[in-house]
Amino acid sequence: MKKNEYSLQGASLTKFFGTAAVLRDISFSLSLPSSLAITGPNGSGKTTLLEIIAGIQRPTKGTVRLFRDDTELRRPWHHETGYVSPRLRLYDELTAQELIEFTCASRSTLRNRADEFLAMFGLTGHRKKMLSRYSSGMAQRLKCILAFISEPPILLLDEPGSNLDREGKEALFRYLESVRSERIIIIATNEKEEADFCGERISLG
Amino acid sequence: MKYIYRLVYIVMPAAIAMAFLYAPPAEGLGESSRLLYFHVPLAWVSVLAFSISGVLSVLFLFTGNGERRELVHAAHNSAAIGLLFTVLATFSGSVWSKLSWGAYWNWDPRQTSIIVLMLVYIAYFSLESALRENPSRQRIVSAYLVFAMVTVPFFVFVVPRIFPSLHPDPVINADRQVHLESAMKISLMTAIAAFTLLYGYILNLANRVSAINEQKKGDLR
Amino acid sequence: MVKTIIAHIKKDFRIEFRNRYAVSVSFSFAFTTTLAISLAAGGIPFSPQTHAVILWVIMFFTAMSGLAHIFVREEDRGTSLFLRLNSPALAVFTAKLLYNVLLFFVLQCMILPVYLFFMQLDVQSPLFFLGYVFLGGIALSSSLTILAAIVARAGARGALFPVISLPVSLPVLWVVIQGTSRSLGRAGFSSPGDMVFLLAFSGTITAVSYLLFEFVWHD
Repeated sequence: MKKNEYSLQGASLTKFFGTAAVLRDISFSLSLPSSLAITGPNGSGKTTLLEIIAGIQRPTKGTVRLFRDDTELRRPWHHETGYVSPRLRLYDELTAQELIEFTCASRSTLRNRADEFLAMFGLTGHRKKMLSRYSSGMAQRLKCILAFISEPPILLLDEPGSNLDREGKEALFRYLESVRSERIIIIATNEKEEADFCGERISLG
Repeated sequence: MKYIYRLVYIVMPAAIAMAFLYAPPAEGLGESSRLLYFHVPLAWVSVLAFSISGVLSVLFLFTGNGERRELVHAAHNSAAIGLLFTVLATFSGSVWSKLSWGAYWNWDPRQTSIIVLMLVYIAYFSLESALRENPSRQRIVSAYLVFAMVTVPFFVFVVPRIFPSLHPDPVINADRQVHLESAMKISLMTAIAAFTLLYGYILNLANRVSAINEQKKGDLR
Repeated sequence: MVKTIIAHIKKDFRIEFRNRYAVSVSFSFAFTTTLAISLAAGGIPFSPQTHAVILWVIMFFTAMSGLAHIFVREEDRGTSLFLRLNSPALAVFTAKLLYNVLLFFVLQCMILPVYLFFMQLDVQSPLFFLGYVFLGGIALSSSLTILAAIVARAGARGALFPVISLPVSLPVLWVVIQGTSRSLGRAGFSSPGDMVFLLAFSGTITAVSYLLFEFVWHD
């Protein structure tokens, strides 16, 4: 099997809201495997930068490009990324099981690791519960599962530890540690331990 | 090339002079027939402006990766001019209709078509203002215009079957009902050329304003 | 891809089935409008042509009330981001198109008997009448689906949807009103061209919608 070499490059990313600059001239270059922490005070544009990388927002200037084996992939390449964010909302009317099945079918991946992931994040007993009955911590765990289950090469995590208890955080970082050698991981955070997990760092603001 | 529109300085006065002085009044319609030289070109530009907006939107969506924003601005400007000309064409048409057929509004196919055209323009501008906050506004608005343009052939097919016509048909290549005298034909052609040039002139001007605004936005940063 | 599309259809219907308020509001709207017209008419006999016009005005505004919902829900509840990140646009649109066509069919099935019952309408050629009504329904719902996607992304949706839909649906409405009034009266079925027209319209509009949907859907 051919090994996929991914590299992710951001060039002079700038974002204005009206006339106010949120990001000015941010550049980075990451190739697999690597990990990057985006830190900075509230309002410094961490989420904006992550959303630009994810392709949810468009930068005012600059580009984000993703290469696989030296060929550039065309946007939207959402299927190459797993995205966790407080802004992500899930369907309240579905159960965890149904959401996992839906995500796998949408991304055309096998769902044979569903049980393993559910066990890893301690949701096995809650798989048949509707999301409207989930607590915010449980929902956060499920978001992680949904982002990881298709095993995308790039993980974009916006404050992944929010709402998680100690046990949840441990499960999250145990997983990240185990795939660290085969992913590009970008974490936007102000938690010291999350930032310390990453090899590189961009400080905003 | 873009100076060609300045010909309007010459052609427009010529067209007006010809409409009032050179062309003879049509039989049966009298002096009111001189409306022909303004109404027909106005209607023509309404349709032309719509087509050009549509084509520019197609180009914006399918070429240049969505980066060629000047195309959207041009499409917008063309539609704005089109809306103005549509209103003028409807107005001049209904006046003429009153004079020759006795009522301001008859649901004639061409009257119907121009009202539908007006509805499309209104929908386009409403949508544009409702999307003001949306970063992908330009693509959505362009997609709507393309979508509306696709329905035009269906209108062309349906309208004449639903609404019986009063218009001399077809006006320009008269072969059956109305024979335009050659002096009238020449005047009409001149008027159409003049109004097309006027459209190009205004569009060119509006596009330059849009470019300056865009530049100003960039400079503020 | 087929599996993906099926998963989307399943998801949309499952969610709809579990919180039925949206569909039931559409039903109530259709029912109330039909009743309002019948009550206002108060038993005045209408010509077939008038009946056709009134029936289709009801249908059009029922569509306006119900067909945007499938996209508006995703935007309002914030789930559109999740959908955008995970799903191919093709699957999203196919599921929503199917949903809308089916929903409108069901709505029509509700409006028709109510209208026929209260307006004491007797149909001369029932088969052609149903043909026009349902083909017209398909043409209308398939052309309105992408407009629903557009409207969901804008402000002032309730007012905007009819404004952008009317110019596009006019050819369908004209043809279908003529056909319906013919099938109500004695003239019966005179032109197969109308049916072909409705099918051609639905087909073309759907094809173009697929082409344009990506521009509307992705940021």
